[in-house]
Amino acid sequence: MKRRTFLAGLAAVPVAGCGLSGTSSTSSAGNGQVTGEITFQTWSLKPKYTDYVNGVIDAFQKQHAGTTVKWVDQPADGYLAKVMADASAGSLPDVINVPPDLSFPLAKAGQLVNLDESLKDARSEYLGNAWQAFEIPGKGGCYGFPWYLNTGPIFYNKALFRQAGLDPDKPPTNFKELEEQALKLAEKKIAMLGQTPSIADFGLYGVKLFENDKFTFNEPKGVEFVQTYKRMYDAGALIPEALTQNYTGAGAKFMAQQTALSPGSAYDLGKFKTDAPSLYANIGITKPITNTGSANMFLHGVSVPKSSKNQATALAFGRFVTNAENQVKFAKLASIFPSTSKGGDDPYFTTEDGTDEARVRVAAAKQLKTAVNYTPVQFSDQMREALLQQLADAMLGKKSAKQALDDAVNECNRLLK
Amino acid sequence: MTHRPYTPWLFLLPGLAVCLMFVIFPFLNMIVLAFTDASALGGGRFTGVDNFVRMAQDPKFWVAARNSLLYLAGVVPPLVLLPLLIAMLAQKVVPGIGIFRTAFFTPVIASAVVVGLIWTWLLDSRGLVNNVVEALGGTRIPFLTDSTLLLISSMLVTIWRGLGYYMVIYLAALANVPKDLHEAAMVDGAGPIRRFWSVTVPSLRPTMVLIAALSAVNGFRVFSEIYLLSGGSGGPGGASTTLVMLIQSVGRGLTGEVGYASALSLVLFVILLGLLLITLKLNRREDQL
Repeated sequence: MKRRTFLAGLAAVPVAGCGLSGTSSTSSAGNGQVTGEITFQTWSLKPKYTDYVNGVIDAFQKQHAGTTVKWVDQPADGYLAKVMADASAGSLPDVINVPPDLSFPLAKAGQLVNLDESLKDARSEYLGNAWQAFEIPGKGGCYGFPWYLNTGPIFYNKALFRQAGLDPDKPPTNFKELEEQALKLAEKKIAMLGQTPSIADFGLYGVKLFENDKFTFNEPKGVEFVQTYKRMYDAGALIPEALTQNYTGAGAKFMAQQTALSPGSAYDLGKFKTDAPSLYANIGITKPITNTGSANMFLHGVSVPKSSKNQATALAFGRFVTNAENQVKFAKLASIFPSTSKGGDDPYFTTEDGTDEARVRVAAAKQLKTAVNYTPVQFSDQMREALLQQLADAMLGKKSAKQALDDAVNECNRLLK
Repeated sequence: MTHRPYTPWLFLLPGLAVCLMFVIFPFLNMIVLAFTDASALGGGRFTGVDNFVRMAQDPKFWVAARNSLLYLAGVVPPLVLLPLLIAMLAQKVVPGIGIFRTAFFTPVIASAVVVGLIWTWLLDSRGLVNNVVEALGGTRIPFLTDSTLLLISSMLVTIWRGLGYYMVIYLAALANVPKDLHEAAMVDGAGPIRRFWSVTVPSLRPTMVLIAALSAVNGFRVFSEIYLLSGGSGGPGGASTTLVMLIQSVGRGLTGEVGYASALSLVLFVILLGLLLITLKLNRREDQL
């Protein structure tokens, strides 16, 4: 669900410019000649980024005479179903926009080109953590060019903090402080959080999520984490809907000022400004709460299916779309960040201009250098649901924290097979 | 007039082709897949009755089956009775009755998603209903966060949505009830309640059976109401999941277990077929009496 919000955010930011020129060369395309027609499928980039994507395509076609790129944009709703139908029929587009958790099942089924084999020199052009996100853990091989990244600060509602007698300038910096402050807020019948922890939150807490081809988040630290949430839930520090809702639902509750704290991204700040001005007037921005020192990162990439009849061209285009120059231009249009090793040093990501937007952007860009995509690529939608359901049972006291996590891990490991 | 023997088939061909491609073939495919371990990305080995054995041992299946049956029991009687009462009121020719008929029918044509969102906002822990309850001195009711109340809330939405549709069917049927029967009953001294039970209800019995069958099938296949009210989660701990929600949850996405989802669909189909057959048989038996 985080993926959807991330993209919805991307789709909502207006386009500020167009027209691009490329720099990558024909030799970067692995084996084969870069020519002929390919299809490029994106996720919900029309109409906001039509000019940008067309500009990239024009530049590529100019650079590689004899190539034609047909762009197909799919709306976010039904994107998964479309990829599924195409993958089942063996007719995936030549270049396809997928996040890591979508590339994983395709790569596992042997449907994607391994970039580590086809383009041995590409790895160095991208941030190590972004490249790793498209690898199959334990088996190696990279199955997608990292594209745009995002990470975010924690937003909190200063007015609600004040109402509970908390210092609005001292938001929680770790999970212990989160619990302490949440319990204080709960005394005044104010909920701190809008959802139970996601798998990424377990990662941020320092829980070992996956080891030796198995999920392991039922380790003692995981149990301790769930017990923390249980204490907060019992005190009323989580809204009742936390048991059933996802990231998007929790974000809406924060916007409605029903919860005091929520993770977010640079895009959300703009949304608060326009859609929730009274919240924006009281918004506090702080660093992500993490026990590991590394923030969470969301990312998208582009993959090339093995079924592509024009693999060399598809690989060249995938690399071109995700090169530093094109990514930086894209990042300036939307509230996202480049995944290339060179793009991040652009002054746009390093210099503040006094606005909140720039402050969030610079902080996020800094954060991204060490950020981790905590969600294991193996963690499917069914597993997310299993975790949510087991956590609900733990919060309601139907199961102990240990039992709920054991059951969640067993189900996830069963689904892994 | 004579025609070549294949001429009717030529007229039927477009419809048959669509039916074959989008109904018959997927249905047969579902039956085959139910006996495999197929995933969304194709493949799948024949696994015999493994999926059905797993189903029998799967607590989620039993929770979903129980909820679907509860749904059936909760939704069918009101949907057989309430639209009839509304139809009898809406049948009266009084000024402005068209507005009432339209009002009752509006939920039928409204999108399921829109209806779901409206009710979510109404029944949310901070929604309109709870705000009114609190303003009146009560405590907030967990309509959407308690598995039992969530199921009941969904049933109410299903009933609310279905009222108009079944009301229209009853209106058509009521127009066909012979007036002389009512007049004869009145001459015999029957009051309105007696006439309702002794004249209206027997005349409408075939329609009532039809509505019972339709609402039973729709109730057993419920998805959108409970999906939207629970934010797609099936309630806390998935305790309000229905069979169709379970099928969707198991089979969706690239990691979906299509084989198991097909087996669940096959079981759902058999149950629905059974329900229809029972209804038809009951109707036939009463016809013979």
